Amino acid sequence: MKLGIESYCRITNNSVIVNDNSIEIPREQSWLTDIYHAAKISYPKFFKMDNLAKCGFLGSELVLQSIDIDKTTPKENIAVVCCNRSSSLDDDTAYQKTIQNNDDYFPSPAVFVYTLANIVTGEISIRNKTMGESAFYVMEQFNPQKFCSFAESAFLDSTIDACICGWVEFFDGNCDVLFTYITRNPKNNKELNIENLHTLYNL
Amino acid sequence: MIYQLAHNIISPLGFSSEANYLAVKSGKTNICLHENEFGLPEPFMGSVIDNEILDNEFSKINHSNTRYTKFEKMAILSVFYALQNTSIKTNDSSVQFVLSTTKGNVHLLENLNGFESNRIHLWKSAKIIAEFFKNENEPIIISNACISGAAAQITALRTLQSNNIQTVIVVGADMLSKFIVSGFQSFKALAPELCKPYDKNRVGLNLGEAAATIIYGKTNDSLPANSIELVSGAMANDANHISGPSRTGAGLYLAIKKAMQTIQPEQIAFVNAHGTATAYNDDMESLALTSAGLQNRPINSLKAYFGHTLGAAGVLESIISSLAIIDNTALKTNNLQERGTVAPINSLMQNQACTEDYFMKVLSGFGGSNAALLFKKTR
Amino acid sequence: MEELILELKKEIIEVLNLEEITPEDIDTDAPLFGEGLGLDSIDALELMMLMQKNYGIKVDNSEKGKEIFKSIRVMAEFISNNRTK
Repeated sequence: MKLGIESYCRITNNSVIVNDNSIEIPREQSWLTDIYHAAKISYPKFFKMDNLAKCGFLGSELVLQSIDIDKTTPKENIAVVCCNRSSSLDDDTAYQKTIQNNDDYFPSPAVFVYTLANIVTGEISIRNKTMGESAFYVMEQFNPQKFCSFAESAFLDSTIDACICGWVEFFDGNCDVLFTYITRNPKNNKELNIENLHTLYNL
Repeated sequence: MIYQLAHNIISPLGFSSEANYLAVKSGKTNICLHENEFGLPEPFMGSVIDNEILDNEFSKINHSNTRYTKFEKMAILSVFYALQNTSIKTNDSSVQFVLSTTKGNVHLLENLNGFESNRIHLWKSAKIIAEFFKNENEPIIISNACISGAAAQITALRTLQSNNIQTVIVVGADMLSKFIVSGFQSFKALAPELCKPYDKNRVGLNLGEAAATIIYGKTNDSLPANSIELVSGAMANDANHISGPSRTGAGLYLAIKKAMQTIQPEQIAFVNAHGTATAYNDDMESLALTSAGLQNRPINSLKAYFGHTLGAAGVLESIISSLAIIDNTALKTNNLQERGTVAPINSLMQNQACTEDYFMKVLSGFGGSNAALLFKKTR
Repeated sequence: MEELILELKKEIIEVLNLEEITPEDIDTDAPLFGEGLGLDSIDALELMMLMQKNYGIKVDNSEKGKEIFKSIRVMAEFISNNRTK
């Protein structure tokens, strides 16, 4: 299957790169909030998200800034696929704190809902109104070959024309994000393959 | 063709697919009130696997010194039983494991109980399960909320269609814990009594523990009678809300439409739907099934037999439905007394005979995810 | 009562992560749910938990919740009549 990476975004603990351009992030609050402000996004729901969903949301927003998906592809034909190492363990830990002691036992529904890792794919789908398939996979570490196969899997649904596909890891205060916008007919020459993904991840 | 080579269910109703099917057919459930379970301050109605019985069965197959969690024991035992009477060599590189779970070993967050901290990670637990069977391919892990078990089967289908993998072992499992039950309680999603899918008076769901395995293979030859083929599978997102079901059923309808491309509603013996017995889920499903022209086909939910078994649900319910269609039976929705969904659907109140060859399995869950699987029985 | 109303507004902003909204932005008599603050079903559940945690009031079902969360004023009145802490 020949697929292309039309746009990408890489976020680590101290840098944001979108399509080969390094983005300057003025530091004021938390890293993810600073990126949100620097990207000039207005979406109050962002502040309700857990860190994992925030990472996925920002990655997908930045990847799509250069693409007008409203015009190019019907929303039913866009898939959202994410993968990571730690699933929702960052939020799981936060939720556990709300129930650990029966003397101070107040299970929080707003924290619990993010203890499902695939909520991040839901947040991205809601934001972009995409109704293609959404899926979340877990693997030990970023593996370009697996990343490719998860993206390709979405395109085995013949109705899918494009996929917002991301590695989105947040645990222990560390974020590690690589988002891509993958299409069947890319407008540039960046093929979806192991080598290209390896290069983008190591930027 | 992609088809089922073997399967197994581990649940409080039994440790084989057949025992579970017979229990369901005769209307049994082990959903009951659990007080002071998992250190929870409030009781809950649920279907919980007895630790002693599980440990006893597991000790018969585990001859190593490795310690396993309940979640891992359930999954390993299910795969082990499914493999019995097959000639599959799990140490072969043509065999791929696919694990479907929502929360795996999350209970270890409360107390590691002597396990290493990385055992909480799904990839670690999946590896431990595959290693038991000496399989060296990195397991594929799907964590897609309540549709995980269907998503895992779609992955199996696609892996077999496009790969040199010959056999895919799909195992779905989730265990209950203070973590999971308290969360559903905080969502006010649990029913204080046996759940009532599609009923006018439904008030919420019951949770359940289970592990279920389907081993898929591929062939170009014609299949023997009463084989179950996985014809197609599709997913779609509601793009509506992270926890609330869509008010229109648009996402589920889209998934059904994609999965049903090759057949007409009349060819479907029954739809085994999600039917969690929450007010909004069941209404949403009734709308989607109606949009797809399936509202008059026999429809059932298995939740009042097993509870909602989370990552196992899609696999477990596909197995029960496979055995039902081989038995020419469309199963009733247990504990349904008075139908009451926003769109009227033919949710069954009694087991009844069926003659068609296809059945559909649908699931929906948090994150706005929906899935539909189409199965076919060989004549 | 005015003190409790202000306290509630601050608590709601914090617990529901209403960034960029100040207590002055919240109309004491306007419906809490609906257009204004963009609150949803999870927020309603979170408010039920807040009632229990901060005021010792158990709100068990969402129908009851709907009544109590009509507006900040209704909520404050309910709390002052029913609080156990």
